[in-house]
Amino acid sequence: MSAPLLLILIAALAFLATHVAYEWLARRLLIVSGAEYLVLGVLLGPQVTGLFSPSAMDAFDPIVILGIGWMGIAAGMPLRLQRLVRIPSVTYRLSLVESLLTFALVTVGALSALSYGFQISQADALLPALALGAIAVASTPAGLDVAYGESRRSAPVLRQIEVAHGMDGLICVLTFGILMSWAHEAVPLMTRALTLTEWVAVTLGIGVVGGALFHLFLGNERSSDRLFISLGGAVVLTSGAAAYLQLSPALAALVMGVVLVNSLRQPGPVYEVLRAGERPLYYMLLILAGASWSPDSNVVWWLVIIHYLVLRTLAKLWGTGIATWVNRAQHEVGLDWGRALIGQGRLTIALALDYSRRDLPYGDVVFTCSAVSVLFTEFFAARFVRSAAAPLLAPLEQLSATTEAVVESVTETMTHRLPGLLKGDRDHDTEGRH
Amino acid sequence: MRRLVILVLLYFVMQGVFRLGSASAGAPTLMLFGFLILAAYSVGEFVASFGLPKIVGYMAAGVLFGPPGLSYVSTQVLQELNPVSNLAIALIAFLAGAELQIAEIKLRGVGILKMMSLELVLCFVGVAATMALLHGQLPFLENAPTREIFAFSLLFAAVAIVHSPAATIALLSETRANGPVARYTLGVVLVMDVAVVLIFSAVLTAARALVPPSGGGGGVQVGTVAWEIGGALLVGAAIGACVALYLRFISRELFIFAIFVALLGAEIARQLHVETLLTLLVAGFVAENAAGGLRGEEFRHAMERAAAPIFVVFFALSGARIDPASVLPLLAIVIPVVLVRIVAMWGGTRIGGRWAKLEPVVANNSWYGLVSQAGVAFGLAAVVADVYPERGEELRELLLAMIAINQTIGPILFRIGLKRSGELRHADTDASALPQSPVPVRSAAHG
Repeated sequence: MSAPLLLILIAALAFLATHVAYEWLARRLLIVSGAEYLVLGVLLGPQVTGLFSPSAMDAFDPIVILGIGWMGIAAGMPLRLQRLVRIPSVTYRLSLVESLLTFALVTVGALSALSYGFQISQADALLPALALGAIAVASTPAGLDVAYGESRRSAPVLRQIEVAHGMDGLICVLTFGILMSWAHEAVPLMTRALTLTEWVAVTLGIGVVGGALFHLFLGNERSSDRLFISLGGAVVLTSGAAAYLQLSPALAALVMGVVLVNSLRQPGPVYEVLRAGERPLYYMLLILAGASWSPDSNVVWWLVIIHYLVLRTLAKLWGTGIATWVNRAQHEVGLDWGRALIGQGRLTIALALDYSRRDLPYGDVVFTCSAVSVLFTEFFAARFVRSAAAPLLAPLEQLSATTEAVVESVTETMTHRLPGLLKGDRDHDTEGRH
Repeated sequence: MRRLVILVLLYFVMQGVFRLGSASAGAPTLMLFGFLILAAYSVGEFVASFGLPKIVGYMAAGVLFGPPGLSYVSTQVLQELNPVSNLAIALIAFLAGAELQIAEIKLRGVGILKMMSLELVLCFVGVAATMALLHGQLPFLENAPTREIFAFSLLFAAVAIVHSPAATIALLSETRANGPVARYTLGVVLVMDVAVVLIFSAVLTAARALVPPSGGGGGVQVGTVAWEIGGALLVGAAIGACVALYLRFISRELFIFAIFVALLGAEIARQLHVETLLTLLVAGFVAENAAGGLRGEEFRHAMERAAAPIFVVFFALSGARIDPASVLPLLAIVIPVVLVRIVAMWGGTRIGGRWAKLEPVVANNSWYGLVSQAGVAFGLAAVVADVYPERGEELRELLLAMIAINQTIGPILFRIGLKRSGELRHADTDASALPQSPVPVRSAAHG
């Protein structure tokens, strides 16, 4: 048996074992599954088996771009204005402050860590530091889904967490997109090179034009298979156009998603199709991320990584606490809801891959920080959400239980005291059951 | 029509994007790939409104935007999209195998074998004879000795007998036809897919003996062929068994697992030098029948879900590889060959069907679904060109011209056949009842 084949089989077995193990852990310990794919990628990559050679990784570049675009459009789809205007403004205020604080704190911290650790000027460290700041803002909504599903989303604390995830997604993709426009090589086109503003406008323009055209293209299509093909083609085209111009596929796709979700009369089927494709593509991104990971034993790397993890966690915890306290919203959402934002996932991996696949400075460091963060925080994302929301939901649950008990008691009393009054209802019930 | 207008708009938007691209711009592959998906999808929907199969539209979009047409999707981009084509072929082969059930083989096996064997013999002899008769019109065979005419005619016929599992599966998915004609046609196409590897290898060995290739390269040994076939059966069965175990005990993330199996199966086949299509076909067959019941069904649905966009891409890329300009000068020789091939198929399935005492509707209409040719035929044509670099290249041109015609008219004929046998009408009724199911439901196969 040839060595590569043996390695494929070993990797496949390792994948199955880790997947089964994670499933088991997820059921018992409320863990979000997904990082096993990152481990599988590391096993397949040059660091362990070398099954995915660097040239093979280049061949997967289109899938990476598609995955990045898909994560972008998935981040844009929840931003339906019709729904957003019903949410109180304080919820947005808190989320925005938390996002900006995280961005600022991690950027400043990374700037100092990179310039001190690698002995480079602050100007050279600015781009990777800003990229780390933007990526740090992202938080995974998977924890909320696992911990509470679609239930109780109207509870203030869960609504706050949900909005904060959306805001984090918007801010990180937007910031990262602007950053990629800034990092764009200044090559003269016709008469002069385009400015930062013009490149940002081009990125947004790709998304807007894409969204408008695909709104018309999709029409009233409801068949999930046809939607899958046309939406897949739309995301491939939009992300591909942005990637071709060396811009951010995530931002172009996010804008397209926002246009689509706000222009379609019933975006539900489109949203379902997007969600169906999101998980497989995320797993592919994780595998490819693991395979392309090339960490360094240099101690400075690990200092930067620890720096990133600590600062990000502090920003999420303290930033939300301070913002909530300043806005006097602690009674509704508590001071600890920032815990629910510690988990990082799909957007983090997508943006980190987008940064590292370009020829930008310290791509490996930026990527390693993000991958390590996902590896350590995504598992526990659901537990973080539980620990943030449970204390505030407990009184509500108690109240709900008490209300149910009272209703039951009153019903029973009424049945005894006024048997004729409720007889009709009982008959109805019996008929209904029959 | 609306979609075609949007496509034109998109075309101009992309022209703008190209103007913004500069020396520092990345590869446009993904963008063009997205455009090709949307173009193929739109043209497919457009031609469907005229009662034509969608895959004809997918191929037409490929021709229009590919190198032979507007050259929007260049040859280089097509090469970069080769992994997508390979994945598509692997998925389609696995899916084709999963469509076959042991119960169905017991029920229809004899009939399929009888129809296939007669059709095969008539087609092979008919095409080889036609080629030998028309050799004077081919520059590379004009003054060739008899044994060379004989060898190249046999090689040509060995490729001409190939059918297209991809086109058959795609059309059955599209129409949801599942009657006896659909099932017998699928059976003949799949069994022939196995037989053709053996026949082609044998013919190539004979041709090498008659006309030794210059330099002696590219030969095929009997042992190699035996391993390619036997190994494919063994490896395919092993992969299928592993898939069945996964379905029985884990059965999660079936969509990604389907893609993983296709990639892994193709890689294993490549590493072990066994026939890729046959490996995946057997793997699909074993997995479906060993896992059985609901799990096998779920996995097949996951595969079909993955295959739906893959069909669009596969046929669009196939279309982009057709060059109408190179077909035209060869029409004088290709059209007789295509006609003889069709007549042989018609005669073979009719006689075979009567011999097997099948219902007249099956015997009379099964040939319609056998005309298509696609991926396997392209591959074999490339092998011929590889073994005989000089004359083989001209023969390959001829083969590609024939494949192009069969690829275009095949799906149209298959649809006509299904309509004549009344299976399209039933399929349309089923489709309206089950709008989300892209699957040719198997229940009818049992009864």
